[in-house]
Amino acid sequence: MRRVAVIGIGVTKFGKHDRTSAELFAAAAADALADAELPASRIQALYYGNVVGGETEKQLHTSPQAASLLGLPAVPTTRFETACASSHAAFRHAVMEVGSGVSDVVMVGGAERVLNVPTADSTEYFAYASDASWEQTLGLTFPGVFALVARAHMHKHGTTEEQMAAVAVKNHKHGVLNPKAQFQKEITLETVLKSPLVADPLKLYDCCPFTDGGAALVLASEDVARRARRPIWVLASAAASDWMLISDKRDLSRVPATERAAAAAYRQAGKRPEDVDVVELHDCFTIAEIVATEGLGLFEPGTGGLAAERGWTSLGGKVPVNPSGGLKAKGHPIGATGAAQICEIVTQLRGEAGPRQVEAARTGLTHTLGGNTATVLVSLFGRD
Amino acid sequence: MTEPAITVEEFFKRAARGELTGIRCTHCGALAIPPRALCPECGERGWTPVTLSGDGAIASFTVIRVAPRGHAGDVPYAIAAVRLTEGVSLLGRVVDIPLDRLAVGTKVRFRPLVVHDRTAIGFGPV
Repeated sequence: MRRVAVIGIGVTKFGKHDRTSAELFAAAAADALADAELPASRIQALYYGNVVGGETEKQLHTSPQAASLLGLPAVPTTRFETACASSHAAFRHAVMEVGSGVSDVVMVGGAERVLNVPTADSTEYFAYASDASWEQTLGLTFPGVFALVARAHMHKHGTTEEQMAAVAVKNHKHGVLNPKAQFQKEITLETVLKSPLVADPLKLYDCCPFTDGGAALVLASEDVARRARRPIWVLASAAASDWMLISDKRDLSRVPATERAAAAAYRQAGKRPEDVDVVELHDCFTIAEIVATEGLGLFEPGTGGLAAERGWTSLGGKVPVNPSGGLKAKGHPIGATGAAQICEIVTQLRGEAGPRQVEAARTGLTHTLGGNTATVLVSLFGRD
Repeated sequence: MTEPAITVEEFFKRAARGELTGIRCTHCGALAIPPRALCPECGERGWTPVTLSGDGAIASFTVIRVAPRGHAGDVPYAIAAVRLTEGVSLLGRVVDIPLDRLAVGTKVRFRPLVVHDRTAIGFGPV
């Protein structure tokens, strides 16, 4: 495999937009091209993530639509759908296309629009990522899935609601430093603990919001990247899966797909968890961040809650996690999330993250989880 | 094509009559909830249906308070992952147990439910 680098990034403001998801992608993608200082004519393919376009926008065939709106109607395009991990899955395949020598310059991106429909509808559409015969029939929601994980983690490790709340407080604090974040407002432990229950024991402030937004990045082969101003190298990109049904998972306090994808990524990159300086991971719910920090090997199993509580994952801590504000405060436009996490890590490794910069960050990791923990992507990045 | 030991549709038809059906691998004896083409333990392709007791204990649970549109009228409702005595697990709605009495380890028994015209897995007190 040839070396592959990210040479351009673009992210829209996250929040409510009166624009289609394809428009949001096109805006981010044009920014990414400008950042890469490349003309659009150099792009040879588009790898695209979009999840509920069929429901919220009555729109399928979203990848050629996105390419058309960008102004690139002729390149091959593919839409990836692995629930919330879609654009990270798109990224991994794009890395393989460039790494294998099929193409030299490829666009990766994703977008989602959900705030144009009521919450009861978006909750239903997101639940389509759980099993239709066995889970949707019960009225299982995504907060419900992670509530089952939370209860199991609390039972096995003694993790507390206060520790989960500490994740939300930390990510909101980081979000204040990110002008693109949906929420730029600090909250207190009490705000979280006194917020209404959504799915016991998870409360409103344990949950990330519904978000509209787009993100894009330009991937290039080493030859092209060497002529770019600020290439950030892809050291690894790995994927893993787990049983689809929640009931088939033997230990709900763990996410085996995270453990498998992380092991594969560290092996590809020749790195260990202690080499990682900055992390953007999938905190769709506060417990998801706790379990992910354990599964990625950053903290011992059962100590992820303690790590959040002690500030080990805050900016200035041992391993800063989600300096962007994470899904919790930055927002979670599901089809765009994986790409947006990568854009943040690239920003951090370039040293351009301003007030949220992790000092001397040389190695970064992104982790994106799809649906009921059945899909996980982990990628590692490094600078020259 | 090898015919499956039991389809999802047939599983829920039997479940509606109060019968829980698992499948046992004819090669290594592993037990699973249908459908499954290959045995995840030995990789072979041969299953035989077996009737499960329906008794188990709660492994984890939640109470849904913000529901999808199709279930909004049902809140609050409890959903639990239940480990059956045979070792396989099922997700189900928990009924007839007060929400504040639910705990990991609580013993429950299968009962069929009809949720919005579809058969769903339910669990009630033993």
